[in-house]
Amino acid sequence: MTKWIRWSGLAGFLAVVGLIAALFIFLLPFLIKSGVEFAGTKLAGAKVTLDDADVTLSPLGVRLEGLQVADARAPMMNLMEFDEAVADLELAPLIIGKAISNELSVSNLRFHTERETSGALEVVIEETEEEKSPSLKEKASEALPSVDEVLAKETLSTPGAGEALKAAWNENSQLIDDAFDKVPDDSSIAQYEEQIQAITSGRLESIEDFRERKRQLDELKEQFKQDRDAVRDAREVVRSAKTEVSAKLTELRQAPSEDLAYLKDKYQLSGSGVSNITGLLFGDDAANWAREALYWYEKVKPYLESGDSAEADSEKDEKAPRLAGRFIHFPSDDPWPDFMIRTARLTGPFDGGQLVISGKDITHQQTVTGRPTVFTVTGEGLQKIGDLDGRLVLNHTVGNATDTLTLAISDWKMAPLNLGVAGARLASSRVQLDATAEVVRGELDADLDANVTQANFTGEGQTLFARELNAALQGINNFNVDAGVTGTLKNPDVAFGSDLDRQINSAISNRIRAKQDEFERKLRNRLNEKMSEYAGEYAEELQQLAAMEGSLDDKLGALKDLASAELEDFKAQQEREAREKLDAEKAAAEEKARKEAEARKQELKDQAKDKLKNLF
Amino acid sequence: MLSLLARLLKALNSEAAPGQVAFGFALAMIPGFTPLFSLINLVVLLIACILRINFSAFLLGIVVFSAIGYFLDPLSADVGEYLLTLPSLTDTWTQFYQNDWMRISSFNNTVAMGGLVISVLLLVPVTLISRILILQYRKRVLNWVNRLKIVQALKATKFWSIYTKFAEYS
Repeated sequence: MTKWIRWSGLAGFLAVVGLIAALFIFLLPFLIKSGVEFAGTKLAGAKVTLDDADVTLSPLGVRLEGLQVADARAPMMNLMEFDEAVADLELAPLIIGKAISNELSVSNLRFHTERETSGALEVVIEETEEEKSPSLKEKASEALPSVDEVLAKETLSTPGAGEALKAAWNENSQLIDDAFDKVPDDSSIAQYEEQIQAITSGRLESIEDFRERKRQLDELKEQFKQDRDAVRDAREVVRSAKTEVSAKLTELRQAPSEDLAYLKDKYQLSGSGVSNITGLLFGDDAANWAREALYWYEKVKPYLESGDSAEADSEKDEKAPRLAGRFIHFPSDDPWPDFMIRTARLTGPFDGGQLVISGKDITHQQTVTGRPTVFTVTGEGLQKIGDLDGRLVLNHTVGNATDTLTLAISDWKMAPLNLGVAGARLASSRVQLDATAEVVRGELDADLDANVTQANFTGEGQTLFARELNAALQGINNFNVDAGVTGTLKNPDVAFGSDLDRQINSAISNRIRAKQDEFERKLRNRLNEKMSEYAGEYAEELQQLAAMEGSLDDKLGALKDLASAELEDFKAQQEREAREKLDAEKAAAEEKARKEAEARKQELKDQAKDKLKNLF
Repeated sequence: MLSLLARLLKALNSEAAPGQVAFGFALAMIPGFTPLFSLINLVVLLIACILRINFSAFLLGIVVFSAIGYFLDPLSADVGEYLLTLPSLTDTWTQFYQNDWMRISSFNNTVAMGGLVISVLLLVPVTLISRILILQYRKRVLNWVNRLKIVQALKATKFWSIYTKFAEYS
């Protein structure tokens, strides 16, 4: 048997393997340092620096010192940094290139710290159009102009309507003057009446007398006819003028209302401008928080394999120099993904106490472990937060990956918060916050419920909106904020709901409505003043026109009555007089006969009495 | 350094019998057909070092069979996939999987498993065929090869002189 064995070969093997192992252990710190910096830079999109990396052999592990991860969006800031991280490593998986640590401990973890040098990579990021556009707050902060500025700036219809009325009146007044020149005045009509009276009264002495009077009467009637035509024409002119001026005056009187409606709409005087105050106050900050969370999630997400990613791996492998094959994993209590930290504990100063982040089964290959990665966040001895309890579950064990975040913060004495709009500031408050977020197949569904108590708002804004908002906020102590986020990760749709809206609306609406009413009143007064400049005198003139029309009607009636007067002719007068004489004679004869009959009757009566007397 | 390397090669190449050369060449199929850096291949290297086989043939075999393995990988992957997913073997593989050293061997990799099985199955046939070819080579081709200019140029290098020097001493 020994003739088959070559002991010198064993020595050579051990020497070569030992040499390689020693070289590997010697180079490992440099490999780890450069590997962390390279992979970290690629992940963060900004410089990642590590001061030192050490490898310990008993127990096998690594220690990283002074890691700084720059913020790609703010190169002079670090996203995070820590002083020291210590992790043990399992030897067996490490032999086949799998880094598995049972415990990772990170101390003095800090977020958003300042850097001494820029952490930017050589990439030029151009500002997008979206970033250049003014924010909602900037729009809301625009000052409301004064009434004078509005009236000077805007082209309104009130002055135009006034000018139109003026032009219509000037045109019609000339026509009226011309028409009235032909209309007889009251003295002329009185004179007509005297003349008629003189002609028609008194006895016609002769046929010549009759003829003379009739000629005079006919001449007067001809005059009456001309005068009546003149009055009718004048009345038409007045009526036409009255209609046109009246229409123009109506337009002028309506113009201020139309102008006011236009200005109210343009200068946001309506109450709808205060319908989403919560979104206005917290929208940008909430968007920043959400953007921060999504930023990290987007960074991590590509490294989280899902159950359906095996095919993608195979496709990727086919492009490799040699086919790498597929690892088929079997049930085990000790799965070996390429990288895993079984438990991690990260601590760092936070809010006067300590922030403790615990991680479990941290790996990018959950299909191998069959367990989701779970992070929990708690606070110890925090000054401004009563209880902090966060839990992030990244479940990519199956194809339908689900990532869930729950966060509960109680008795949070929130730091003074510049609301950034109208100079408003939430100086102090207590907040109870519950939030959940879930991402399934890239679809985001998140809810946040915050109950804010003991709220104390301050503000120094100078615009109408700022003054009224701050005044309204002064009276609000408690409010709830509900936020919902739906849509895709790339394009989330954030919606806010809050009873703060209702409270602010009820407060600010009354105040702003009063201010609006005042502004409207001033605006209306100024518009009415402008209208009165035109309409004032013409309204009086219009009344005169109406009086004129009535006067002309009276004159027309008087002339009509005068024209109906007639002169009795001479023959008719003779016949009437003869008939009157005959009737008088006839009446005298009948009286005489009646008297004679009564006398005869009395005589007969007396004779009868005498005869009776003689009998007795 | 060259002396040390030449001494090592001399020691390893002292076994020049056709069978020793043939087995050294055939044994290289395992690292050639499987992923090179693996525990299995470390064991194969250990075997190649301690067994009295021709090490140069082993190294040459690695080069040759790695080239063949490049084209054979898809077949190896299919074979490994078939074996590793065979229900009747699932319990066996699961038991293997519980052992750290077995897992270090990457037996659960389809190419490693397929390549190992193929190379083990071909080990004996390739050894026998190689032995026949070596005998025929020494009988009919060796003299012609020694006359090639490239071979003569190689023999003119410093490394060859050191190598032959150690060969003569041994």
